[in-house]
Amino acid sequence: MGRYIKYEIRGSYKFILGVLALVLILTTGIYAYISNAREGSALGATFTGLSVLVIFGTLLTTFLYIVNSFRKELYEDRGYLTFTLPLTGNQILGAKLIVAFMWFVLLGVVIAIYNGIMVLSFSPVKIKISELFSMLKNMNIPYRELVVFGLTAIIGGVSTLILIYFSMALSRVTFRNKKIGGFWFVIFLVLSGIVTYGQVKVIQLLPYYLDLNTFKIASSHMLSYGFNITINNGGLIMNGDLGGTILNIAGFIYSIVIGVLMFLGTGYLIENKIDL
Amino acid sequence: MDFNENLPIYIQIMNLLKSKMVSGEISGGDKLPSVREFSKELKVNPNTIQRAYQELEREELVFTQRGMGTFVTEDIEIIKMLKKNMATNVVNNFLMEMKKLGFNSNEIIEIVSEWVEKEERE
Amino acid sequence: MKNIVEINSLTKNYFNKRALDNISLNIEEGKVVGILGPNGSGKTTLIKILTGLLRQTKGEVLIDGHQIGVYTKSIVSYLPDRNFLYNWMTIKDAFEFYKDFYTDFDEKKFEDLLDFMKLEKSMKITSLSKGMHEKLNLTLVLSRNAKLYILDEPIAGVDPVARDQILDAIINNYNENSSMLITTHLVRDMENIFEDVVFLKDGEIVLTGNAETLREEKGKQIDDIYKEIFGE
Repeated sequence: MGRYIKYEIRGSYKFILGVLALVLILTTGIYAYISNAREGSALGATFTGLSVLVIFGTLLTTFLYIVNSFRKELYEDRGYLTFTLPLTGNQILGAKLIVAFMWFVLLGVVIAIYNGIMVLSFSPVKIKISELFSMLKNMNIPYRELVVFGLTAIIGGVSTLILIYFSMALSRVTFRNKKIGGFWFVIFLVLSGIVTYGQVKVIQLLPYYLDLNTFKIASSHMLSYGFNITINNGGLIMNGDLGGTILNIAGFIYSIVIGVLMFLGTGYLIENKIDL
Repeated sequence: MDFNENLPIYIQIMNLLKSKMVSGEISGGDKLPSVREFSKELKVNPNTIQRAYQELEREELVFTQRGMGTFVTEDIEIIKMLKKNMATNVVNNFLMEMKKLGFNSNEIIEIVSEWVEKEERE
Repeated sequence: MKNIVEINSLTKNYFNKRALDNISLNIEEGKVVGILGPNGSGKTTLIKILTGLLRQTKGEVLIDGHQIGVYTKSIVSYLPDRNFLYNWMTIKDAFEFYKDFYTDFDEKKFEDLLDFMKLEKSMKITSLSKGMHEKLNLTLVLSRNAKLYILDEPIAGVDPVARDQILDAIINNYNENSSMLITTHLVRDMENIFEDVVFLKDGEIVLTGNAETLREEKGKQIDDIYKEIFGE
């Protein structure tokens, strides 16, 4: 699988680097304009607006480009090479998933860090990096919550990717000989709806939460007074007034199980059901 | 080489080699190309060449020396015999065809001698 | 002799039509077998099943005694009838790809064949002509010391020079320990390299046997038998 990851990266890194360069250049332009413009000029505003649009468009294109790497195997002649390699369907799928996820994280992290640098270098007040770090140190960062939040975000992201791949494979199997461009997206929307509905039901039926501060299990009865909560990630994580952050256990397990099932389902489809 | 006759390829290859032996293009003691070389040259499955060589060996026209290759027989009598057999075949076929066309033996002889004379004059 | 491929009562149905109907076929080690038939005869379906691109509806398919899977894919070298290499690759990339994925890949063999085909490692896949594609694909496929080679229409649509090079490469690659399964409808050009032939018509085997024996029995070349069966 590692070998396949290598070639998956080699096939897409030029495009990703190009996107990154474009986005970073445009970002720089926007920051430079904002910090220098005394009074708004029509041209500058147009440039900023266009740049934001281009950045948005580029990122959307990139998203489709990355997830399409899987779809191309199902519709193009390259599938004849990929699916006759001595690899299992799960290994191919896993490699695609890892590389796609890696690209998203890379893009996200690089763009976020670059924005940070831009803010620092263009802000009127100069902040020293060391001061920034000591500031961060003094702040009371809720690491545990951050980790769990990050974990649920990763699981959510990966599940979404798997759901996309599953929808593509299903679309390929359903319409054997026809290439219907966006049909996988319809399947994806329907499946997402079903999965989310299932998650809500599971959370309602099994309202047991893990309190991340105390690592004790709480039920919704204990939470029912002063039910002042904000909901994140489809009700997975809540900020209750009983204490810090709480995590719905059944919902958490449900999303992992769904992800695994969809993964195995996709692997099964590409090994057994697809006729290139 | 094109194999157009309605015969198995190995027989056509045998015939090819036989006519080379008879015409003297390859003579007694000469080494035949290796199965692999010949197979490449003729673009024919190596097993077909192998079979042709085996059949030639059965007819004692060639012999194999282990590790050395396949050689044309040094026995002149065998080649002479082959030449005679092949000539007989040609004549037989010729006579059969001519008889199909309605010529009798005397007429055939007449036609043949006319041709031979004509060729000698040229 | 040992069978490298064993196919027992193989049937493949698509939604509405039967692509292969109860096919049984064994391929012995060291044999070059021609699968002959026009388009739609089931050749491609059979090959897709052997290479693991498709699952059968019924019946058993074994390669080297194994069900189709990762192991069989590692011993089967497959030449599809299309440009299956990734578009971003150069010939060098494709070479490394093969070397990485197939342990039976023979670098020396590759270099020699590439030379023979007059191709350069620096060439980009997308810049190759149809004939060059076919030659490169065959070079990669034959550079593996595989137990079974499956070549799907290896000379279709290439010029006579390329065709001769391809035939030479196939004959050169012949060895007693590996078998070749070659589909073609260009029977005249290829029949002399087949030891056995299989005639596929509408998903059924209508005639099969040793090519020389068939020539002897029918008193004609395989190409003529083909024309007789398929009424060209």
